[in-house]
Amino acid sequence: MSVMSEFFSFLRKNTLALAGGIILLLLVLLIVFGPVITPYSPTKLDVLHKLTAPSWSHWLGTDAFGRDVLTRIMHGGRATLSIGVGVVAIAFVVGVSLGMLAGFAGGWTDTVIMRIVDAILAFPALVLAIALAAAFGPSLENAMLAVAITLAPQFARVARSQALSISVKPYVEAAISLGLPTPRILFRYVFVNGLGPLLVQSTLALGSAILQTASLGFLGLGAQPPMAEWGADVSANLQFVRAAAWVALAPGMAILLAVLSFNLIGDSLADWFNPRRRSELN
Amino acid sequence: MASFILRRLIALIPVMCIVLVIVFSLVRFIPGDPAVTLLGPGATQAQIDALRAQLDLDQSFPLQFFNYVGGLLQGDFGVSLKTGQPVAHEILIRLPATIELSVLAVIVAIIIGIPIGVLSATRPNSIFDHITRVVSLVGVSMPAFLLALILQLVFATYLGWLPVSGRMSSFIVAEPVTGFAILDGLITGNWAAASSALQHLILPTAVLAAFLAATLGRFVRNTMLEVMGEDFIRTAKAKGLGRADVILNHGLRNSLLPAITVVGLKFAEMLGGAILTETIFAWPGIGRYMFEAIKNRDYPVIQGTTLVFALLFVFTSIIVDVLYGVLDPRVRKRMK
Repeated sequence: MSVMSEFFSFLRKNTLALAGGIILLLLVLLIVFGPVITPYSPTKLDVLHKLTAPSWSHWLGTDAFGRDVLTRIMHGGRATLSIGVGVVAIAFVVGVSLGMLAGFAGGWTDTVIMRIVDAILAFPALVLAIALAAAFGPSLENAMLAVAITLAPQFARVARSQALSISVKPYVEAAISLGLPTPRILFRYVFVNGLGPLLVQSTLALGSAILQTASLGFLGLGAQPPMAEWGADVSANLQFVRAAAWVALAPGMAILLAVLSFNLIGDSLADWFNPRRRSELN
Repeated sequence: MASFILRRLIALIPVMCIVLVIVFSLVRFIPGDPAVTLLGPGATQAQIDALRAQLDLDQSFPLQFFNYVGGLLQGDFGVSLKTGQPVAHEILIRLPATIELSVLAVIVAIIIGIPIGVLSATRPNSIFDHITRVVSLVGVSMPAFLLALILQLVFATYLGWLPVSGRMSSFIVAEPVTGFAILDGLITGNWAAASSALQHLILPTAVLAAFLAATLGRFVRNTMLEVMGEDFIRTAKAKGLGRADVILNHGLRNSLLPAITVVGLKFAEMLGGAILTETIFAWPGIGRYMFEAIKNRDYPVIQGTTLVFALLFVFTSIIVDVLYGVLDPRVRKRMK
């Protein structure tokens, strides 16, 4: 059986992975096609219809400015999910490059890089993200950068341990003895062969990235009004929650579903890359 | 053991130096001239100069850093731009509230998380196992502010069983002794204060504990499943030991060691969560203090609270290492 068909057969047997995939697919469909279908604008004010309860015309009701909550979730989802992917992409490139270099080069390079990594890991991730975002100034781009800085060390750790175990393999030694340039050895042999655990890390980091960026948005350090973003929307609607619970609960539930889907998929990928767990599940 | 702790502390020195550089640089990350940015467009040159002097920005960069570290070593965390009070003093006042909340949350998480993990692992793929796995996954995926909102709505707004926010009812006069509200109530015999403090603790503790309990439950389950497949478990069963004996004395004991690391590491994440939880529940700890500082752009306070959170985390990781050594004979042997 090929690796791909074995993987899909594993997925079919793994209900939780399937559930994660379905939730993610539905969310992606909602945020890709929803904004095209909805007749409402995410930012246009309609004070005559403020805080109306869920109904046929407004499935999740309206917020304090009369904006359709579902439409805000669809647009906010575009922001939240693309932020998550962007943050993980930055953290992946920076973290993996540094981790691979540290593991492959060893010596002082390894010591210096890993002490910096340890220092960043000495902060609770959200605390450092909040402090950095506060220093950079409240904006979505700065929040993304702040979260990426806190996530990169985790990638560096995984990449380093992969590099350490792969760089002593005979095919890497052969590549070194052939005189191939270091960047090529790092990418072609070390990176490609250590990709599995990094993929698991990326999926799990997507959940963390969304949670952290939403938390920064909730504290007013991420997306700024009137932009739709899930975390910021929960925070903006908190004061109306007693009169209209849905305005804050709906974007909050959207965050939960997105993070849950990535955690479900990440967990299953971790099982897939763990030979013992894979054979148990098969 | 003492030499192990000493070596661990020495190994921390380079990491703590970089931590200090990061915290020190926070103000320097502010785009443009931090003094101008902090004071806003209406500030006079004299005000700007005064703030530059207060933040040491008129000195050279290395001198600024040495002054900062020198001050820290003498317990000087700077002065709050908002209140004019020493940051160290304001943090010390608020620290007991954060510790009270975090420690209680850890205890609750351990009491809930470990038994759930053990029960799940001893009945793998049962209905109970499936339900707890899904609930745990929801727990780790739940934003703290959403869970807080739901609990406030249900238990405070709709049912009226618990207070929405705060640390104690405003009608109660309590005499501070240690700063820990429940303990102070008990020491002074003020039962109303102790009871009110406990009621106010329930919801924020539940929010903070949920994430750790879920993580711990998942971790203990997975570790137990691996341990229960080991040879020494088969030997224990072959010796004719009872099921409870095998699970508790052989399975759980060997699964708990790695769980200590998880509790330690996740404690740090929980501290991050304390900023959100304390803000939502108007809990007067250092998390809320940091949030208010961010709103007021009070950078000495942001630096001070960030450093305290990092110190708490590093301190926890040392305790975890030492505990590991105490509990695991193999690690203890390596220490010697």
